[in-house]
Amino acid sequence: MSDVSGVRLPVSQHAFLRMKGVLGLSHTVTIETQIRDLVALRAACRRAGLEQPQQETVQLFSGQATGYCVRLPQWRYPVVCDPQNGTIHFDNYGGRWGEQRQLDRLMQAYATEKTLFEAHKQGYAATEQTLSDGRIKLTIHVGEEL
Amino acid sequence: MRQIEVIVMPDGQCRVETKGFAGAICEAASRFLERVLGKCTGRTRTSEFYHTDARQETRTRLDLK
Repeated sequence: MSDVSGVRLPVSQHAFLRMKGVLGLSHTVTIETQIRDLVALRAACRRAGLEQPQQETVQLFSGQATGYCVRLPQWRYPVVCDPQNGTIHFDNYGGRWGEQRQLDRLMQAYATEKTLFEAHKQGYAATEQTLSDGRIKLTIHVGEEL
Repeated sequence: MRQIEVIVMPDGQCRVETKGFAGAICEAASRFLERVLGKCTGRTRTSEFYHTDARQETRTRLDLK
């Protein structure tokens, strides 16, 4: 029995609170995004209005790098992604040879596309909302409890 | 309604939260994302995580009889 909000129901207090939407958050994980999926990277480039990545060997300031190259606006050198190990190589000289926010935008687009892909792969519906501070909120609907 | 909420920061970092789950099942529910998005840099659990589902508990007690 529960006496939350003065109501007595034949359910546990916990279940009642959950139905009322009072309970909810059970754990939080923070993740540093790594580009490991070429399909999601291609989708991220489309989302960000960038050319599709090409596999090539390019010369960066610090040396050669091989992988899928993404050309960011106003960047002197391309960003080289290696989906095999999730690493990216770039030389932007602390922002002098390319604005960090352009790379951040690519990473945000990738994380968004990868999350949506994985949710759909699991058969879950997902909604997307861009927040006023630039964050993107993705809500994955896992369904009712059985 | 059980949901997984992913907040993608402007720099691409992600915060994954589970809502409406009871007990350790919440971690299993979001593991498919944690595995593929990148490197986990932090994890926090709320009191909800440690709350055992009342029905599971009842079932277990019945099974013991």
